[in-house]
Amino acid sequence: MPVWHDTTKQWVKDGKLVLLGVTQEQHPERCKLFAQWKGFTWPILHDPINVLESNAVPIVMAIDEHGIVRSTRPNPRTFQADFLDKTFGDNATNKPAIPTPAYPPKFNELKAAAEKANTFGAWRRYGDALALWGGDARVIDAIAAYQKATQLNPKDGPAWFRLGVCFRKRYELSTRQPDDFRSAVASWGTALDLDPNQYIWRRRIQQYGPRLDKPYPFYDWVPEAEEAIRKRGEAPVPLPVRPDGAEIAQPTRAFAVAKETPKDPDPQGKVTRDSGSVACEAVIVPASVKAGQSARVHLTFRLAPKTTDHWNNEADPLRVWVNPPEKCVVNARLIEAELPKSVTSSEVRTVGFEVQVPKDATGALRVPVYALYHLCDDVGGQCRFVRLDATVELLVK
Amino acid sequence: MSRCHFIPFVVAACTFSTPANAAPPAVGERHPDFTLADIADGKPKSLSDYRGKKLLLIQFASW
Repeated sequence: MPVWHDTTKQWVKDGKLVLLGVTQEQHPERCKLFAQWKGFTWPILHDPINVLESNAVPIVMAIDEHGIVRSTRPNPRTFQADFLDKTFGDNATNKPAIPTPAYPPKFNELKAAAEKANTFGAWRRYGDALALWGGDARVIDAIAAYQKATQLNPKDGPAWFRLGVCFRKRYELSTRQPDDFRSAVASWGTALDLDPNQYIWRRRIQQYGPRLDKPYPFYDWVPEAEEAIRKRGEAPVPLPVRPDGAEIAQPTRAFAVAKETPKDPDPQGKVTRDSGSVACEAVIVPASVKAGQSARVHLTFRLAPKTTDHWNNEADPLRVWVNPPEKCVVNARLIEAELPKSVTSSEVRTVGFEVQVPKDATGALRVPVYALYHLCDDVGGQCRFVRLDATVELLVK
Repeated sequence: MSRCHFIPFVVAACTFSTPANAAPPAVGERHPDFTLADIADGKPKSLSDYRGKKLLLIQFASW
């Protein structure tokens, strides 16, 4: 996009051309940071659910004053002669409309229409309006609408993809439910099974899967962008969800086995076990892994809903020790979660690691892990250091 | 002798494979309108807001 930004800058300034971007990614703040870094001042719209039904990016189109597509592969070098300096007549053949929800959305009408027709299309349309315009509060309704759509038509790939987007979105909200992340990955997996050539969907699931043979640097540019923006004296756009795991290709270019084995922090298991203050969820991407290949394990730690505890950040960060079975290799044995700057907090903590299963593995492969963390009780003020044991089970196919 | 007549009752499984990649607009076609939120402020913007101007539409991702 920088090529087009540079090529068209003067024409945009002179009012001869409008640049309009549409970003096909889950988190708009990341694109906002990218735009800040590159100095993009043109409007960029967010299509998190791929409502435009594009199956790849980038897609660049020259559209004339009448809204008619004049080029689907414009050339920056000949753009002025081919398009900008030309006069076009209003002689279009009309393309059927993309069923994008109208704005302002009429949620009640769409819901009533979906209930009356009870077709997958009507439920998907209601879901689209909720997903795009309902805000965080209506994510739960969007999930329900897409679930209706997929129940009525289990082969509705776009509804499965959009259901996954909404699960992933709720996973990042305070209203998250256990299994939201797992449900997101499962929904995207179903969508991709239905249409393996959908590149936008594939990229979404790859963001949370194991490193590819040739890792894709989804968001390696983020630290460089933030540094460059700070050097300009600006504050970078904050990212509520930092890129992590397979979203970053550097510095690892291939599956890297941990070379130095750190010391097991509790080899005798002497640390007191947590008695239910924290719950751990494991999400494995892909859900089942082929023998000899690798999967990424996402571990989520959250404070139990009724606990009076909070994280104590005046001590060590939450640490996870991974104890892989024989012939099974991991890219890290000891992993630390990010430690907030505040003295106490109650956020969800995540760590990730990759497991390469043996070539002769079959069935279920169990990887024991345990976490060590510090908690303090809001009520009594008592602080303690505790351990939580868990087993990650990988399904080898 | 009584005979029972069974009328076969066929329930059609009404599922439709729905490809995601509906063909994008071709040269000479009017681009369908759409409305999405601007990442700058979350406010809606439509393609048709720019009718009357020459426009370069760029779908991309920052990854």
